[in-house]
Amino acid sequence: MSVSGVIARQFDRATLIAFGCVIVLLLIGAMVEPAFLSPKYLIQQLHTASFLGVVASGVMLVILLGHIDLSIPWTIGVGGMMATGATGFLGPELGITLAVPFGVLCGALIGTVNGLGVAYLRAPAMIFTLGMNAVAQGLMVYHTGGFAPQDRATEFMRELAVGHLIPGVPNPLLLWIILGAAIVFVLNRTVLGRRIYAVGNQERSVFLSGVDTRKVILICFIFSGACAALTGVLLAGWANRSYQAMGDPYLLPTIAAIILGGTNVLGGRGKYVGTIAGVILITILQSMLSVVQPQRYFAQLGVDIPADTFRQVVFGAVIIGMLLIYGRQQLVR
Amino acid sequence: MSESKSPYLLSMSGITKRYGGVRALENVSFETQRGSIHALLGENGAGKSTLIKILSGVVLPDSGDIKLDGKLASFANPQQANDLGVSCIFQELSLLPDLTVADNIGITRPPRKFGMIDYRAQRRIAEEALAWVGGENIDPMETVSNLSLSRRQMVEIAKALARNPKILILDEATSALTAADVDKVFKMLHRLRDEGMAIIYISHRMPEIAELADTCTVYRNGTKVETFRNGTKSDSAVVEMMIGREYSSVYPAKSNRPAATKPILKVTNFSWNDELNGINLEMRPGEIVGLGGLDGQGQRQLQLGLFGTLIGASGSVEINGDRVRLNSPKVAKSDEIGIALVPEDRKYEGLMLSMTVRENLSFAAVEKMSRMGVVDTRAEEAAIDEMVEILKIKADGIDGPVGALSGGNQQKVVIGKWLMTKPRIILLNDPTRGIDVGTKQEIYHLLQELAAEGCAILLYSTDYDELIGCCDRVLVMYDGRVVRTLAGNELNETNLVSAALNLPEQAAVRPEAKKIQGALL
Repeated sequence: MSVSGVIARQFDRATLIAFGCVIVLLLIGAMVEPAFLSPKYLIQQLHTASFLGVVASGVMLVILLGHIDLSIPWTIGVGGMMATGATGFLGPELGITLAVPFGVLCGALIGTVNGLGVAYLRAPAMIFTLGMNAVAQGLMVYHTGGFAPQDRATEFMRELAVGHLIPGVPNPLLLWIILGAAIVFVLNRTVLGRRIYAVGNQERSVFLSGVDTRKVILICFIFSGACAALTGVLLAGWANRSYQAMGDPYLLPTIAAIILGGTNVLGGRGKYVGTIAGVILITILQSMLSVVQPQRYFAQLGVDIPADTFRQVVFGAVIIGMLLIYGRQQLVR
Repeated sequence: MSESKSPYLLSMSGITKRYGGVRALENVSFETQRGSIHALLGENGAGKSTLIKILSGVVLPDSGDIKLDGKLASFANPQQANDLGVSCIFQELSLLPDLTVADNIGITRPPRKFGMIDYRAQRRIAEEALAWVGGENIDPMETVSNLSLSRRQMVEIAKALARNPKILILDEATSALTAADVDKVFKMLHRLRDEGMAIIYISHRMPEIAELADTCTVYRNGTKVETFRNGTKSDSAVVEMMIGREYSSVYPAKSNRPAATKPILKVTNFSWNDELNGINLEMRPGEIVGLGGLDGQGQRQLQLGLFGTLIGASGSVEINGDRVRLNSPKVAKSDEIGIALVPEDRKYEGLMLSMTVRENLSFAAVEKMSRMGVVDTRAEEAAIDEMVEILKIKADGIDGPVGALSGGNQQKVVIGKWLMTKPRIILLNDPTRGIDVGTKQEIYHLLQELAAEGCAILLYSTDYDELIGCCDRVLVMYDGRVVRTLAGNELNETNLVSAALNLPEQAAVRPEAKKIQGALL
């Protein structure tokens, strides 16, 4: 197949609509505030988007399997807090050098438990991962309450979150690009990728084709945990410290971005490019809502709504609206 | 019986239906009378199913008229068709597996009391309907998923009858039935016909049609070929009408290879729960061994067990004299063992329906075509193209979802998927169920070719003709045991039937066997 064919295959209808929405949003924004189209603003948005993009990368693989990972809010928290608190576990020397891998490893550990529960114990992912979220929350509260741990980000974490290894490209964006390229390769060119789609499609057939489906599921959950923790590490570097509920605002946007990008919630279908589109769309939407402040227009009509509340309502409503417009399941056969 | 102006209860004329550019039906007519059984014949894709779907309101024709009792009628949706007295039993089972038998039978029109479902009445209706089809030993309160495929099909028929139809359509409804259940259903159909019902019957099993039908109509490529009275044409003449070319014997000649070498597979005392009881089995390369017997006597479990999916199976399995532990399909398909399984349910056990034909074909062998987990796409494409060629899979759909192919082509994809792993032992579970004659024949030829190349084949089939026509010997199973092995002249229908019922060897002569079969079950 030709290269252009391969590229064309990646852009399905949902992806195109999501990208279309991004452009429409930007144009609407530009009418209010021309700075919306400036390169500086766009890069800044991509910078913010990469935090969401990294979590979504992992969760997408889990959704492709037909499962779900609801433990991400506190896995993000674990990633951030374990990275900043690494000195407490590994000593002042190692704790500084290994802060990032330590944080990611802790997330991968949560993913491992999720994967073992879902794949080997056959627990429903929805309740199992939600339970793990609570477990992680409890452990983190205990951790902060117990011995007043270090919550400052290391120099390297800061650099990773806000620095520029390549001039003009924020490091998290670079990281997301590399991660994304790797996932596209895995999904399209490797045996594992083929199996991920297949498990989401018809797990029985996969098992009866002589494939260890449990291993495939375990790998994806571990990856999801690691990605969420990496986002936690980046967020801690960005804010220069870690804090308990740092992952809480990420659950809805992550899943919404993946679904708006055309991935089937029941598994088996979806392209990574779509997830990229969904992530950018959600990020721009959030940014627009805080910059444009649409509640002002309502205030002119005499309806007074607090900004935060309004933003939440509009954000949720827009996601539901977009899902109704194009994110519904197509009928197969 | 009521008098009517038109001689026909139902007449369809000028029916045309296209799907995109594909012509499914072109100016087709069809008539049927009260009190008759009318068989529709034709290969998969000939247009029979589309015609039936139009009649049951699932599909709207592009043009054409449908008249009931001489009056123009509208079949715009299934509800309307139902109200007009058309009841259809489709090839695909339409039962809800997690509900009870009674719930399923009553689902379209549950009896009500105070606005709520009257369970007692529903149960009574279900019992009556089941008794009517000869399934009185099915418990109406049983959950459908606990029933065997054959029993489920009986429930399906009962469900259609519970609506008191004037026209009953059976689309390949007997393909999942065991011989005993087929007998009961036939008796019932004859009774219904005598009571004045119009029955439209679709099947790929020629002997059934010969036994059952009054009138036959043959379709080919979306057009009607001919309508004739049953019994006025020979089987081969009918098949020629269906496939539009000359037709040689259905079954290719058996090879009569000398079975010289050592067995490739030796199974000793293989048991699992209560469903397999001390099975002994030997297979040599180049041999086609059949599994016979009534449905649900452990044939499926034996094949699944040999494929490593039964936890806690005991007994020993030797491959080329080496004892092996088959504890997962992954082990079973490994190069050292080389077992392949073409499972019973191609849609849910054999294929990933919304993935492409290509992805499905290479799925089981893809690790052999990759280096360090990265697929060598060029090698993969070449291997797939070769397989598409060998199996004559309809090539215009291979980049589309496998779910869009006809049943016969889907089954070829499942078989192709396993041939790509280069297996030495192939287990097949009723591979020709619901498949047209042409494709069946291709599969029979393929089996002989594979055997000639040295594969050992274990074929389970619910079709006795197929076992007789394809196999070198047949193991008949009863209650999880092999009760008899038939080969050579002994391999005939009489012996297969009597062994399936576990009757003593000498007792059975053909007509008696049939009678006993009817009486026993």
